[in-house]
Amino acid sequence: MSIDHASRVPLGFLLPGAQARVDALDDRIDPTQREQLVAYGLAPNRPLVMLQQRPMTIVMVDEVELALEDSVARHVWVTRR
Amino acid sequence: MNASAIALVGNPNVGKSVLFHRLTGAYVNVSNYPGTTVEVARATARFDATIDLVDTPGVLTLPARSDDERATMRALLHEPLRAVVQVGDAKNLRRTLTLTTLLAELGVPAVLALNMHDEAGARGVTVDAEALSDALGIPVVPTVATGGEGVAQLTHRLADASTPQPLLRYDAAAETAIADLVQRIATHAPHPRLTARGLAILYLGQDSEVEAWLQQAAGEASAEFAAARGIALAAGVTPAALAHERGEAAGTLAARVTARTAQSSPLLAHRIGQWVIHRVWAWPILLGVLFAVYEFVGVFGAGTLVGLMEETLFGEHLNPAITQFVQGHVGLSWLADLLVGQYGLWTMGMTYALALILPIVTTFFIAFGLLEDSGYFARLSVLANRLFKLIGLNGRAVLPMVLGLGCVTMATLTTRILHSPRERLITIFLMALAIPCSAQLGVVLGLLGGISFSALLIWVVSMFAVLMLAGFLAARLIPGRRIPLVTEMPPIRLPLLGNVAKKTIGRLKWYLIEVIPLFLLGTLIMFLLDQFGALPAIIRAGEPLVSGWLGLPKEASAAFVMGFLRRDFGATGLFALSHQLSPIQAVVGMVTITLFVPCIASVMMIVKEQGLKIAAAMLALIIPFAFLVGGVLNHLLRAVWGAGA
Repeated sequence: MSIDHASRVPLGFLLPGAQARVDALDDRIDPTQREQLVAYGLAPNRPLVMLQQRPMTIVMVDEVELALEDSVARHVWVTRR
Repeated sequence: MNASAIALVGNPNVGKSVLFHRLTGAYVNVSNYPGTTVEVARATARFDATIDLVDTPGVLTLPARSDDERATMRALLHEPLRAVVQVGDAKNLRRTLTLTTLLAELGVPAVLALNMHDEAGARGVTVDAEALSDALGIPVVPTVATGGEGVAQLTHRLADASTPQPLLRYDAAAETAIADLVQRIATHAPHPRLTARGLAILYLGQDSEVEAWLQQAAGEASAEFAAARGIALAAGVTPAALAHERGEAAGTLAARVTARTAQSSPLLAHRIGQWVIHRVWAWPILLGVLFAVYEFVGVFGAGTLVGLMEETLFGEHLNPAITQFVQGHVGLSWLADLLVGQYGLWTMGMTYALALILPIVTTFFIAFGLLEDSGYFARLSVLANRLFKLIGLNGRAVLPMVLGLGCVTMATLTTRILHSPRERLITIFLMALAIPCSAQLGVVLGLLGGISFSALLIWVVSMFAVLMLAGFLAARLIPGRRIPLVTEMPPIRLPLLGNVAKKTIGRLKWYLIEVIPLFLLGTLIMFLLDQFGALPAIIRAGEPLVSGWLGLPKEASAAFVMGFLRRDFGATGLFALSHQLSPIQAVVGMVTITLFVPCIASVMMIVKEQGLKIAAAMLALIIPFAFLVGGVLNHLLRAVWGAGA
């Protein structure tokens, strides 16, 4: 099974239009930035919609568009819905 | 300052400053960009002259982590607060209520202004304000601050402000730790307005402002607090765990009072928002925006308006009339000279400031305000991020950098929106070195644009190369880590012309207060140097560097003396010599003067923001570097095109 088809993937792997639920933010994200992401709504169990991946990862959470650099998006783990 | 205050508190970009303006009549800078308010603003309330209204910077998270969050926390700790108006974004209730959970624990009477409920409605989100008010136990007023909707009702309901009901009980371990700290805080450091429980939760969340306040209030006993927090941490009561519980409680309540209807198609604004950062369309759109700004500022402002002001109004009417009047009425020839001579306060200082600079900065600030309020800048930071990564920054730095093209001094202050001291230092340095302000840009466009497109292109490429090279080196030499970009993108909105006008007038006022005294001082210094015959001596002293190394006419030394006061003043000095300059000399002169010291006002701002030592170090780097680059460029261009070009 390739990583593209696995249900738990880093945010950076989702295709535009995909819906997912946040699993975890891993420890490689700076703690302060992790707190900010949680405050933005990128918290475990919360739903999101992937909008685009280039030039940056952009997701919609809680009616807010959030842009994340690749180095952060690859450490946000989500489950596809 | 009144004895009692009401603070406006809320997440970034929810409309606190617009509401502040509505409630006080005082104008603070408002933009469609998170983090515009970097300092607490204060004004007397319109509805009650005995109350001060305090506008606080937006908080993404409390406990405070960033400078603006700390400023807000300080306001909560130190202001004589009678109540708090929490301003929330109706379409993002979960985030709003996450903050409410903490404010509720602090025990300050509150009212919730559910702002932008029109935008929420357009997205199919409706909030049952009555049910929310029942759940929180405080007045909840739907508002649209930009249109004034709900503001009267909000003012009216302030009298009913009450302490919100707690929205959650934390888990057992956390509650034990909180209870333990509450007892200690109540004994050693009771706060006159805030509850010990609220302070305990913030202290466990490692809020540095609360920590500092408790330490000061409790003295030696504060060691007890630290020990209690250590035990709590060991038991798993971490800031993240507490924040998670607040988020969950807020999410549950938000879901209960929010209804969503499915939308058939995305809003036009939403679609435009996506086009401007589309991986293909973003670039032609960016080029279109740049072209429009160039046409408005470069062609209309620096060309048409400057022509009208400088040649027609000042050149043909004002200056001849004033000169005639002064020469007819002022007996002392030196005084007449000081006013209307070659280095006259009016003929040089005021004419430069009003005829040459004012039209350019006015058009620039209008264009900047329109882009800022449209929500484009936040998207530009996404587009610029990869480029900024090379110079150790992230896309957020695009806002001060672009504002720097208007006024570097103002932009230096705006670097406070950046999250780390390292980012601020690099951005301020790069702006001081290689970002020309609009006044200077106008002069550069006027001089080099008049010579040839390639002259202008060489200048642009040189500035860009220096910016990237200096940034690349600074990012590697300045210790610390780069912070990756995570940013919220505000909705694309049609800018409100009234707001853009107010903002432009505010910025122009600031600019003119800064620029006119400096132009007059600069003119006075030039006049004195000329009167006492020092100018020829300076020109002689600067000859080896200016003529030998840079290959410029020796009179250009005077422009560099003027450049010490303002770069654009110096550039204008070069402009005055333009008939004597070859194309290579014009390019070399403009590149050197652009890199050369930033103006006195921005140096003072750098001292204010970064301290004297860093400001001095920057100047010590920038001045020789400017001459080095200018000289290298001179020799390079002469080698390619020959000395006669």
